[in-house]
Amino acid sequence: MRRWMMLAGLFLSLVLVWSVGSALAEKPIKVGIVDCYSGPPSTYTNDVRDAFQLAVDKVNAEGGVLDRKIEFVTRDSKFKVDIGLAAAKELLMREEVDILMGTINSALALAISDLAEKEKIPFFATFSKSDKISGQAGHRYVFQITENTTVAGKAAAAGLAKRPYVKYWIAGDDYEYGHAIAENAWKHLKELKPEVELLGQSWWKLGEPDFTPYITSILSAKPDAVIIATGGAGCVPFLKAAHATGFNKQVPFFMHTATELSTLKPLGLEAPEGVIGTSNYFYYYPETPENQSFVEEFKKAFGREPKVGALYGYITAQLIIEGYKKAGAFDTEKFIDAVEGMDLATPVGKVTLRACDHQAMLPMYMGVTKKVEGYDFLIASDIVTIPAEEIIPSCEEIAKTREAK
Amino acid sequence: MEFAAHVSWEALLQQVLVGLSRTTILFIVASGLSLVLGVLRIPNVFHGSLYMIGAFLAYSVAVFIGGPAGFAVALLAAPLGVALISLIVERGLFCRLYEREHLMLLLFTFAFMLVFSDLVKLVWGSDYRSLSLPPMLQGSFTILNLPFPRYNLFLLLVGPVVAFGLWFLTNKTKIGKIARAASVDREMVGAVGINVSWVFAAVFIIGCFLAGLGGALVAPTQNITQGMDHAIIIQAFLIVIIGGLGNIWGALLGALIFGLTDAIGILILPQFAIVFPYAAVVIVLIFRPTGLLKATW
Amino acid sequence: MSKGVFSPKTWLLLAAAVACMAVAPQFLSRFYTYLISLVLVTGLLAMSLNLVLGYGGLYQFHHAVFYGVGAYTFALMRVKTGLPSIWAYLAAPVAALLLSLLIGWICVRLSKLYFGMLQISLGSLVWAIVYRWYSFTGGDDGIHGVPIPEALSSIDNAYYFTSAVTLVCLFVMYLIVNSPFGRVFQATRDNPERSEAIGVNVKRQQLVGLMVAGFFAGVAGSLFVTIEGSVFPDMMFWTLSLEILIMCLLGGWFSFFGPMLGAAIVVVLRTVMGIHTEYWTLILGVMLMLLIFFLPEGVLGYFTARWGSRRRAAMEDL
Repeated sequence: MRRWMMLAGLFLSLVLVWSVGSALAEKPIKVGIVDCYSGPPSTYTNDVRDAFQLAVDKVNAEGGVLDRKIEFVTRDSKFKVDIGLAAAKELLMREEVDILMGTINSALALAISDLAEKEKIPFFATFSKSDKISGQAGHRYVFQITENTTVAGKAAAAGLAKRPYVKYWIAGDDYEYGHAIAENAWKHLKELKPEVELLGQSWWKLGEPDFTPYITSILSAKPDAVIIATGGAGCVPFLKAAHATGFNKQVPFFMHTATELSTLKPLGLEAPEGVIGTSNYFYYYPETPENQSFVEEFKKAFGREPKVGALYGYITAQLIIEGYKKAGAFDTEKFIDAVEGMDLATPVGKVTLRACDHQAMLPMYMGVTKKVEGYDFLIASDIVTIPAEEIIPSCEEIAKTREAK
Repeated sequence: MEFAAHVSWEALLQQVLVGLSRTTILFIVASGLSLVLGVLRIPNVFHGSLYMIGAFLAYSVAVFIGGPAGFAVALLAAPLGVALISLIVERGLFCRLYEREHLMLLLFTFAFMLVFSDLVKLVWGSDYRSLSLPPMLQGSFTILNLPFPRYNLFLLLVGPVVAFGLWFLTNKTKIGKIARAASVDREMVGAVGINVSWVFAAVFIIGCFLAGLGGALVAPTQNITQGMDHAIIIQAFLIVIIGGLGNIWGALLGALIFGLTDAIGILILPQFAIVFPYAAVVIVLIFRPTGLLKATW
Repeated sequence: MSKGVFSPKTWLLLAAAVACMAVAPQFLSRFYTYLISLVLVTGLLAMSLNLVLGYGGLYQFHHAVFYGVGAYTFALMRVKTGLPSIWAYLAAPVAALLLSLLIGWICVRLSKLYFGMLQISLGSLVWAIVYRWYSFTGGDDGIHGVPIPEALSSIDNAYYFTSAVTLVCLFVMYLIVNSPFGRVFQATRDNPERSEAIGVNVKRQQLVGLMVAGFFAGVAGSLFVTIEGSVFPDMMFWTLSLEILIMCLLGGWFSFFGPMLGAAIVVVLRTVMGIHTEYWTLILGVMLMLLIFFLPEGVLGYFTARWGSRRRAAMEDL
């Protein structure tokens, strides 16, 4: 009993010393990033952080924002909600950051969003694709940079409706992201083209190692086209299995992130051709000076081409910098008023942060995988730009879902 | 949304074949786990990490050498590399811990899993890796109008070879016989003058070699990434348990049940495929509390 | 300790500890108050596992399920019903208890590793249901912004509530462990055959033990939601169960307070280390290895053993 007390006392005093030591004097603008830097998602999140750093370094070299430098610290959530949430609170209360950003994990993003609302601190959700973040669970203090599942689904429907397929099969990752993309795609496809018919669905667990059995079962149903709602680590093995079984040659299929660099680069020239995919960003498209100079800077700093996450990180940094500039003061409420409805000149052109739901209005690019001379991996070709206004739910729709809650 | 309407006999047969080739990997990994569990009584949680390291090593070796030869060398070199790691771990640490409580050993191996997962991140970074197959194993055959990847056929051939090798090792070689005896009565074997410690080391290394082999074999079909360890280890443990602890044929049977319920479940009730393997384990253990085949302990 | 629950000296120490905990938030920043609440909740969870693991010798490998079910019950009661919060606090442990009755009833027929693996399978089934049932449990997104009673929503108040409930729970656990039931339970761990021979129904004893452990895990679950306002399926995933297991063994699973200490070590380590490095699991792994090598009884177990032997030596000198 006494031993325990002594240990507890020791522990308490250690904590006390530690907390006193960390009290800080004058500080710069501090951004806290909570994200998953371990495991498969880190291939996406590292780009968010690095591009963020790129933008911040640039502005700091010019003397910072309103004479203050921007600093940022990162915490690894390990893709676990409890660890990430504790880290967010640590950033908020101990590190005393002014802004929170990050997380590719939707559950964690929603948890941090809830915290941000309570604590009245801006939170930029960079890569988590749940449409609840800016939709149903949206509030004044949360911002969503990435496209979300509603947008991805609508974009898929917009692209697929133009193609002649009628009989569909839907398959995907058995979690919120997969189901949400599939449901949105199907709902809007049905609206655009009422004669479509759903033959069936298959859902696999997250991290499914081998897709061959699913592919054979889909092929045996003989659909005209397939919507694959898999994301992240599932894309590579799925494309592998598709290539090995010749799936893409028998049935055309759509897969949301199929054309992304993180999916296609590891596969080299062994990826299947003709796969339809959508993404917010390619380093080789659009071929504008803005994008090319961004790619150059990123390559120079980190020795690799930027992936889609880089765009999200870069835009977040731009919002923070321009927001404080426009607000003219370091005040959270003024900052939020300033970024609402703000237009940014980004690598993909003008992007607006919509005032009604704090969703960044990013265009979506739909392309088809193809081998192209000069690349040692497949790239997206025949790219069609789907403007954000066409696929992002209107402010009225957002208001309706928020009321329904 | 009816599913059963689409289940033709061809598709079912196809699915069974694919399920069998998946079984191969599961069997190879689980048999290694079972061997270590049966003889050494170590519930080796970092078996999954070794599987992951096997896949990464296979990737690195194949890229380093290049070409079809690179793939062939990788299939052998990766498990050998994993075996080497396990040799160091066993001689350095485990041989001093054999008398400890099972739970302690479980925790100790879990500590290794934590360490290995961060080491893999340090060495190989976070990008996805993909291992290319040599041309002769790429593409697929058409069986009953449905494609069947050549590599899956290759796996179907490897499975029996490994199974035979293991049978030969445990039943026909001296070390196998000693190991089996030692698993039943450690003191007795020690008393007749055999250095049990080295027998254990050998068994441990063979078990880990199998984990590495499984990883190397799965590498071309999959995204080689961190987190592979989590996915496989729980499956491997469940297979070992339903088969009967320490029983290699149990591991085969368990892997078959796993691979086939999964594959057929996908075809018949795809939306609930996630539940099938767990349900299979629960059913087996309710009716046969110590697994299907005789456990060695 | 033979007369009353504690000796007067222990009572005094206990009072001092309570006083310390009562004034702690005055001296600590909000974050450390929150961190201590988190340690207490996690520690309560680990100690509830240790009731069956350390005292009962049962390989409860998937204890997190009961924690998660407690937390989800609490959250769902708060979100879906208009009942006062007291009902949610009562329902959480009861739901966890009922689930452990069900899972325990199936599992107690097996022993050791088989028990553990069957439990992992059954627990994973529960996890899969929670993970999949979007309309009811929120699926893998979980439920966030769970309404917490106004009086408990500040960090300090949540801390006081958590520590009060934890203290009461620990007290009750202590009574249980030292009750005739607790003694018989430990006897079934040390020698099940003999216990059976002297007329103890070992399986029933174990089942009751499992239910008690589930009950307290459910309490811990409801406290977690009080602090964090969120529930998510990670809370019942098998990796969390392994983590709790580690806490027990780390602190010392043959001592009553060991798991609490283990929880404190793990929670503080990952927060403090997480500030400095992404590679804190590596450090945790190495620490665990060293510990198993040199302090196989766990940290507290080691100290207890050393002090115990010193005290024994002193007694012998007299």
